[in-house]
Formats: sequence, structure tokens, C-alpha cells
Amino acid sequence: MRGRRALGLWLVGLLLAGWVTARSHYVADLSAFLPSSPSAEQAVLLDQLRSGLGARLVLIGIEGGTADQRGAASLAWGRSLRASGAFESVNNGDNAQYEAFGRFLFDHRYVLSPAVDAQRFTADGLRDGIADTLSLLGTPAGAMVKAVILRDPTGETVRMAETMLPRNGPKNEGGAWASRTTERAVMLAITRADGADLDAQEAALTGLKTSFAPYAAQGLRLVVSGAGTFAVASRAQIKHEVERLAMAGGVAIVALMLIAFGSLRALGMALLPVASGVLGGIAAVSLVFGQVHGITLGFGTTLIGEAVDYAIYYLIQARTAHGAPRGSGAQRWLGESWPTVRLGLWTSLCGFAALLFSGFSGLAQLGVFSMAGLAAAAFTTRFVFPVLAPDGAPGLGLRRRLGEATGWCAARLPRLRWPLVALAVAAALVLALRPSPWRGDLASLSPVGEAAMQQDAALRADVGASDSGLLLALSAADEASVLTLAEAAGARLDKLVDAGAIEGYDSPARLLPSAATQAARRAALPDEAALRSRLAEATAGGPLAADRLGEFVRDVQAARQLPVLTRAALQGTPLATAVDAMLVPGNAGRPWRALLSLQAGAKPIDEAALRQALAGLPGVQIVDIGGELKRLYARYLHEASVQALLGALAVCLLLGLHLRSWRRLLQIAQPIAAAVVIVMAGLSLAGAALGILHLVGFLLVVAIGSNYALFFDQLRHTGGGDADTLASLALANLAAVISFGLLALASIPALFAIGQVVAPGALLCLLLSAAFIPAQRPWSCVKITG
Amino acid sequence: MTMHRPTRSAPNPHPRLLPGLAAGVLAIAVASGAFAAGTFDIAQLTAVLAQAKAGEATFTEKRQVAMLDKPLESSGRLSFQAPDTFVRETLLPRREKVAVIGNTLTLSQGSRSRTLALDASPEAGVIVEAIRGTLTGNRDALERHFNTEVSGNAAQWTLGLVPREAKLRERVAAIRIAGQQSAVREIQLDLPDGDRSVMTIEPMTAPLPVAGVAAAAPATSAASGASR
Repeated sequence: MRGRRALGLWLVGLLLAGWVTARSHYVADLSAFLPSSPSAEQAVLLDQLRSGLGARLVLIGIEGGTADQRGAASLAWGRSLRASGAFESVNNGDNAQYEAFGRFLFDHRYVLSPAVDAQRFTADGLRDGIADTLSLLGTPAGAMVKAVILRDPTGETVRMAETMLPRNGPKNEGGAWASRTTERAVMLAITRADGADLDAQEAALTGLKTSFAPYAAQGLRLVVSGAGTFAVASRAQIKHEVERLAMAGGVAIVALMLIAFGSLRALGMALLPVASGVLGGIAAVSLVFGQVHGITLGFGTTLIGEAVDYAIYYLIQARTAHGAPRGSGAQRWLGESWPTVRLGLWTSLCGFAALLFSGFSGLAQLGVFSMAGLAAAAFTTRFVFPVLAPDGAPGLGLRRRLGEATGWCAARLPRLRWPLVALAVAAALVLALRPSPWRGDLASLSPVGEAAMQQDAALRADVGASDSGLLLALSAADEASVLTLAEAAGARLDKLVDAGAIEGYDSPARLLPSAATQAARRAALPDEAALRSRLAEATAGGPLAADRLGEFVRDVQAARQLPVLTRAALQGTPLATAVDAMLVPGNAGRPWRALLSLQAGAKPIDEAALRQALAGLPGVQIVDIGGELKRLYARYLHEASVQALLGALAVCLLLGLHLRSWRRLLQIAQPIAAAVVIVMAGLSLAGAALGILHLVGFLLVVAIGSNYALFFDQLRHTGGGDADTLASLALANLAAVISFGLLALASIPALFAIGQVVAPGALLCLLLSAAFIPAQRPWSCVKITG
Repeated sequence: MTMHRPTRSAPNPHPRLLPGLAAGVLAIAVASGAFAAGTFDIAQLTAVLAQAKAGEATFTEKRQVAMLDKPLESSGRLSFQAPDTFVRETLLPRREKVAVIGNTLTLSQGSRSRTLALDASPEAGVIVEAIRGTLTGNRDALERHFNTEVSGNAAQWTLGLVPREAKLRERVAAIRIAGQQSAVREIQLDLPDGDRSVMTIEPMTAPLPVAGVAAAAPATSAASGASR
């Protein structure tokens, strides 16, 4: 029997979907809402955003107590954090951690110091170098020099330190970093965990907070910020929000079903397509994408609103007519109502299909989820309900009142036709006259609040981690050539620094000179005999006699035998972390990259002058991070609008094919277009910045609204429906408005944007359809059957 | 003020003599340059020093470093401008310049120069705060960083500075600054390892306001002392 087969198929499908759902990998980071097919330079940027060093940075502030307490806590806690092993480095001004590393640098000073060249080892060069170093003796800075002066009389250690230490270091208070603007000790930690691995990030951050407990007991407060913190907090927020939405959606559906039927059995039945839709949607997303995003689940609550529509339509409309044999309701419904519901399904699928082509994997997930979910819910209604509930569901609830009220409204709405037309025209004028509201950006997708962003910026300023937002991306085939390129670019940038055009820049070549440069420095080191004779000349009559510098001569000879340093040789030193922040290894598919961030002085950097200064260097790109992200987003907004238009066009085409009448198509399009224009104008007047997700919302308005318009069109041409039909329409609309209205209350911008558009849009579509597509006979004659 | 207070509180049988007596006391205070030996303190010293808003001087410096065969000698120019600018330019044996403006320290040696934030490197900061704080008479800055000890009088004073922070005392044992009125004449720096540098300062041009203030300064401090 066909019905039984369908039931069996549904059960097996449900079990499979349940199994897949249970095994799905759920994620909630926002990288799914970063575009996935960017250009080459944007790829660097997004890569850095997702898993670069910036994504592993933890900015830490200790507040409260006295300066001494904060400083002592920073130093002691810093040591325990380093010992915990969860962090690659913990920087707080405590230099004791660098002792071993200092020895490494000291051993390699003759290839790392920028002062080393052939001139440096002439008698004159040696004399100058020694005089430089001696000038530090007898000052507070002399203590460090004094310890090594017999091995390093020319002060290569000092020159190395000058090059490597950041220019804008944090304030030092009692040996620990402190804020310049407020009473706060500051630290900068880098997690070992990858920035994209949120579970590991969360574990590291939890460990951080737990280990602060003893200091919190002293009355100190911990402030934590950074990309990982934001991502973890966002995920928690999304989780919380999704649970809240699911709960609220559940309550809403129970309320709706009680209004519609006043019957628990009907409620139980209505849950079947909803559950099938949600399970089917999650399973499909999981199978297609390998993971399910939290926002997809949040969006899924709107599916509850749509899937329940099918249940409402069927359970009401399949009721056995007076005198008809028992069990014939389903057959009648399949004949009379299913074609309209099916058309509605198709138009909705068309709308969501546009999302599949989105460059944002997050949006594509929403598309797959909604399409699979709707299809599953419709399948359940079409094939399972006729078996389980061949005569619909009993119970009347408040439906009679609702039907009457809807009929009353529907009868009067056409009188408001002209005022509503005037409203739509006014809205169009508002849109034409006001500046475009389409100015959303990527940042507006982030759920991180303004206060958290400000705190992040303040902590960044404290530790000197903020920059101009201008980056040079250099690419070359391998490590050696990209470092050589970085040195060439650095030489040009030095001129700009001297001219005051830029304040400064960071380069990996400062920390790790290219192999060629290191080899040249090594070649500049004289042999023992030459060095001794030049040294004798250089120190004659000075306060430091050559015969005390035997260790220096030995060290120089040893340095002539040392291999040049590569990134691999730095592994395990703090230098590796710093180099990795600026040097991105390549592979067969992509080149090695060096990232040089530029610091602006008092005036902003002139990009044209910068471009000119770098002219002729191959593989150099200037990346304006903020601007590039804006362009990236603008491109996706453009692409998305094309997709949305195509989606809307597909909906029109589908309706046209079904109706086979231009006039009816136009009549259906009118209320929808008017609803879109009015909502857009309303958001514009409210000052909202519209972005890609709003666009998606408008697409959904078209997909859902066309269902309502279609209904009124059908009613008009079949001579009007009964109050039950009207009630089911009102209930369906109520379900949509409630479920999208819940999204509009969400604090996650992605969900908020969609809800903000669809909730009023769907309601307007219903009202405008009723107004613009009046029935042939007055609504008041309709009778409700119970 | 110890002299003023009794005149006000004790019963006075000759009320008409009072103004004359007070004037006489003030005259003595002005003439001696201070109220009395031992009462010249950091408040009065910095008040005197703060009168000079700018100045230029030449210096010679001698550093005794144990490990070197002979002392290091250098000479050059110093200048300062209230509230927070201080420049030390070494001319011999080699040109070298240390310029401090606010929190920014710029070191220039030959063709290269380097900028750093003073509060980021306390070992550089400690000496700058001592010299700049003294030249500009910034009592707050001095007391924030050092335990101070003043001896002598306005005409010939000595200011001893010991860093408050234990970590900084590992870098600088003590600083001793000597001067006359608002002019700093010698800065001696004792390092924990026994090395010592002594900078002798010769005012090059006594800036006009300083010349005018030099005589008036004790009177001003006397007045401020009396008002307490």
C-alpha cells in the first residue's frame, strides 16, 4: 500500500536524519560569515583574520588594588601562565624569561646586528663601535653593556636590541607593563592553540581565568580581550541565543496550535512536520558542509513557523465535509489545496535557492537548511498526514473568532487600498531622496558589542599593539627571497621614515635577515690576524686595551663558522613567534609572504606616495585592511543583490508559469513590491545600515509574501474561501511573523537583520495582498465549519 | 614660619610695634636667603628651582669606570625648558645628543637616531626624571620617583635622590645634585657597582627671568612658608 510505504520511508528518513544530527559537528565562530572566495590579497588578509597570530592574541588587563599589587600579580601570574604551557608566550615586561633566548641572540650577533658590514671591521669602524659602547658605561644603561663588553666591545648586542625591540613599548611600572591612561597592569599572551580552534581557545581562556583566582581574592580584577576571546564569547552567545529562540519558538507554536484547535492531539500532529523539517534541515547541512553553524540553528526557528503552516493548512482543510465518507478528507485536500501549497513550497524553495550561491558559507548553510527543512516538512504533510490523520484534526479553539476577525479585516482592507498605495509611493520617494541605506559592513555582522570593542582598543593602545591599518604584503617563491624582498622594501621605507612620511614599520627581516644579508655579514668578519692588528690600531691610547679583548677575537672567529639562521633555526625562541606574525610560509600552491605593517605619524599615510616609493619592486602589494574589507564586503553585497534579484525573478517565473496570466502575475507582484519598498523605507528612516543579511531578508519576504498573494489570488478566482481558509491563512502569517519577530529580538546581528526585515515584511504582504487583491464576493458571508 | 607664628599668637604688649617687627623678620629672611639652616626643604628648593623656566649651560663630565684603564671624559651643552624638555648634547670626544620631550627620548649618535618612550625603559627614565625634575623644580615628579634629602640653603644646596623602587636601586644607587639658587652646578651619579659619574655644569647664559628671580626667590619662599 502506497501510504504505508510513504510512512515507512518517512520513519527511516527521520531515523537517519536523527542519527546524522546527533553526530553533527556544531560550530559557532563567525568565520562562516567571512566571504569564501576572495581575491589573492584578500585571501592573505582573511587567512590572517582566521588563524594568523592576531587570532591567537590575548590582551589582558589587571585592575583594582595598588600599582605595586598589580605589578606583583602580573609578574607572579605571568610566571605561572608560562609554566602552564597553554601559551606560546606571555609578555608583561618581565625580561627574566628571555635569558636563554638572549644567549641565542648573543651567539648569533654577528649575523643579526644591522651594524655589521665590511666597514665595521676596519680600524676606524672598530674605533667608532667601541666608542659607542663606552659611552654607555657609567650610566644606568651601562650595567648590561659592562657584563659583555670584553666579548662584544663594538656593541652588536645593543644594536640588535635596538632593532628588535618595539618602538612604542608599553609603560614599565615596577618591572611590569602598565597602562599609560588608567590604573591597570597589562599583559599580552599568545595561545598555543590555533585561532580557528575555538574549543582549544576556550580551554586556554578558561584556564587563564581560573588561575587568576588567587589574585582576584586580593581584590584585583581581570580584563581579557582579543580575537579568541571575542570568538569564544560569540559562540557562547550564539549557543545561548539559539536555545532561547528554540524555546520561544516552541512556546509560540504551542500557543498557536491551541488557538487554532484547542486540542492536544492536533498539537502533537503539528509537531511532526516541524520535527521532520528541523531534523532534515540539520542533517542536510551536516552532510553538505560537514558542520552545522549555530546561526543556522537559530535561523531554523523560522522553519518552525513555516513548517507549522503546512500542518495548520492540512489539519484544518482536510476535515471531512458533512455527509462525505470518513477518510475522504485527505483525498479532497490533496485535490483542492495541495496544488496551492505545493506552488507556495516551490516559490519558497526558489527564494532560498538563491542563498546556495552565496560567497558566505554561513548563508549557503541557511539556504540548504531551509530548502531541506521545507521539503521534509512538506513531504510529511503530503504523504504522512493522510495516513495518520485522514480526516484532519478535531477541535475548534479560537479559530472561529480568528476567522471572523480576519474576514472582517479582509472585507475592509480593500477600502484602504488608495491610502496604502499612497504609503507605498511615499516610501518610494523616501528611498529616492534619502542617502542609500545600503552601507552595512563586515563589522556589523559581529555580535561583539561597542563597549567590548572600546575595551579592546584601549588594551591594544596600552600594549602598543595598534597600527595604521596599512599593510605591505610581499610575496616571493621561498623564505630567502621573500626576506630579501622585505629588506629591499625596508630600504625604501627607511627613506619615507627619514622624510617623515611614515612613522615606522615592522618587518620580519629586522628579526631574521635574509640569507644573503647574513652571508654578507659573515663574509665581512676578518680572520684572526687581521682583526688583531686592526683592533690594536683602533684601541691605541683608549681606555680599553686590545689585549683585554681576546674573547672578542675568539667570538668573531667562531661566528665565521656558524651557519646562517633560517626560520626553522628559530623554533622554540620568542623570536619565532614574532617572525611568524609577519612571515607566512608558502607551499606548492601559494608563495611565501611577508607582512609589513606601517605606522602613521601625526598625519595619515599618503598611499600614492607610498606606491611611488615602492615602484619597481616585484611582488609588493599595499593592503589597506579596513578599505580592503570594505571592498570585499561591497563586492559580496553586489553579488548577493544579483543573486537576490535572480531569486525574485525565479519566483515570478514560477508564478507566471503556474498562473499563465500577466495580469494576475502583476496583481500578485504589486503587494509584495509595495511591502518591500515600505519596509526598506522604514529601515532607512530608522537609520539602519542595511547589508547582505537584510538583502536575504527581503528575498525571504518575496518568497513568503508571494504565498499570501497567491492565496488571495486563488480565493478571488475560485469564488472565495470559507472562514477556515482565512483563519488558516491568518494563523500561517501569524506563525511567520512570530518566528521572524523572535529573530528581530535576537542580539546576534545576523539573525537580528533577517528578523527585522521579514517580520514586518510578511505582515505587510498579508495586509497588502488583502487590500490589493479583493475577493469577488464579500467576506462577511463566509461561515465557519466546526 | 616658626618665627611668624609666635608673633601672631602670643599676647603682645606693644601692638604698634608688631608691623615693624614683622617687617624686620622678613628683611632678615630675605637677606639670609633662608629662614634658618635646616629648614630649607624640598618644597622651598623646588620653589626656587621652578622660577627658572629655561636655561642653557655647558658641562664637563668625568666617569670613573672600574674596568677601564682611565676615566671617560666628555663635554658639551645642556639646555632645558619648562615644563618637560631637556637636551644634553655631547660635543667631545664625539657628537652625541639625548633629547627628552615629554615622554619621548631621542638618542642621536652620528647619523642614526632612536626614539623610545621614557616610561617604557625605567633605567633611562630614572636619570632623566632626576635631572629634568630638578631643573624644572618639579617636586611631584621628584618625590614620585625618589626619596629626597635636601641640605644647605638656597645659596648653596644639595639634593640627594635615591630611587624609591627597589629594582631601580639595582641600577642607580644614588644621585646627588648640588646648586646655587636656581642654578644646578653639579650632578653626581653613583652606580651600585661603585662606578661614578660627575657632571660639572657652568651656566652659559643666565636667562633673564632667572637673573631677576634669583634675588626674589627667597622672599617668595618665605612668603609661601608664612602662609602655611
